[in-house]
Amino acid sequence: MLTRRIAELLLGLAARRWPADVRDDLRREWAAELHVLAENGRRTTMVGFAASLAVSRAGAPLLDRRLMHQRARRTAAALLLAPLACAAIVVVSALAMAQVYNWLSMLVSWSSAVQLPLWSMLILGFAVLLAKYTARSARHTALHGPLRIALGVVLPVGVAALGLMSVINGSVLGSFVPGLLLWSAGLTLALWAAASLAARGRVGVAWSVGLVGALVAADLAVILFVIQTIPGPGTVAADAMTADSVDRISAPLWLFACWTDWNFGLPRPTSWEIFLITDRLLLEPMFYLACMPYALAYTIRAARSAPAVPVALAPTPV
Amino acid sequence: MRITIPVAKVLAALLAEPDEQHYGLDLMRLTGLPSGTLYPVLHRLQGAGWLASDWEAIDPATAGRPARRYYRLTAEGVAQARRTLAELRAAIPDGRPSWGVTEPTGAPAW
Repeated sequence: MLTRRIAELLLGLAARRWPADVRDDLRREWAAELHVLAENGRRTTMVGFAASLAVSRAGAPLLDRRLMHQRARRTAAALLLAPLACAAIVVVSALAMAQVYNWLSMLVSWSSAVQLPLWSMLILGFAVLLAKYTARSARHTALHGPLRIALGVVLPVGVAALGLMSVINGSVLGSFVPGLLLWSAGLTLALWAAASLAARGRVGVAWSVGLVGALVAADLAVILFVIQTIPGPGTVAADAMTADSVDRISAPLWLFACWTDWNFGLPRPTSWEIFLITDRLLLEPMFYLACMPYALAYTIRAARSAPAVPVALAPTPV
Repeated sequence: MRITIPVAKVLAALLAEPDEQHYGLDLMRLTGLPSGTLYPVLHRLQGAGWLASDWEAIDPATAGRPARRYYRLTAEGVAQARRTLAELRAAIPDGRPSWGVTEPTGAPAW
């Protein structure tokens, strides 16, 4: 009697670990088998029957753990290494740009004007290559759900950005932090929206929304930094160096001015204003540029990828 | 469907008598698998459509015991199991599978 009670208790525990839709049938089935064993006086077998079910893994949802671990490792590697690659792209592009600039400066007089555009183009080229490479691994991502994918991409990027800026600025809590936080938050929202759209099969719209959102996030971060650190015309005292101010009217263009060193033929920002901005703020917009293609490509590809395949449905040797 | 040794054992046991219906305890005896391994396998096979189950048609009050659940291979399950086990047998160099239930002749069940 006691052994049967113990067995029933174990079966109750075992049943709880199975999906709710099959639980009642399993309880009924196991109770019937237990009854047969009890009738035959097979007490040890009865307890063994129940104990084995109680300690073993439930039948569903069964996941191929080896595949899941492999996916998790690959996903972690991609998400952790890609931001470092973005930082490396910024540095390597700067070194390459410096070499080209040195060579050009001996040949032409306008070499200074191409410094920033050249740096941006190099960064963009490398960033697109990185995006293509990482998007492949995104097909087998372990992240599921638009928000998780967006956070999985942005958090390591944010940490890498913080590390890079801290090293360059010599302080963890520099004036770059608010802008960086704003960019991270904005990029998360942009990627979340892009991933949601991509998951519904609207890939073209996802790219458009993601790109515009990422640009807006970067633009706002640059605007915040400039407003924080460079006074506007009205805030500078009359006897101060009024020339060292930046008119806020051209704020939306500041990000693109950092990338191109150009005001797109508009009256603002002036060349001097662009100089003031890029004198204080250059690494951040370049890092944003390096990260955007990867972040968008990975997010959209990951959102389109299928969820982890349960073993029961896995197309492995049949 | 991922084929593991327990899955192969269950398929071989069911394929040995494809028209027969087996209870869980029967299958444990035939395969040598503990209940904690057998039932997840049965669940997976059912999920893949290879296995069907029915409740024993008895009146528990008259029979004095609860109805048991029995399992049988579906038509697709029979075909898939034959093919799978044949492939597994072909993949083993010495042709001696460690999971198979053998027929009286000594030939593998499938």
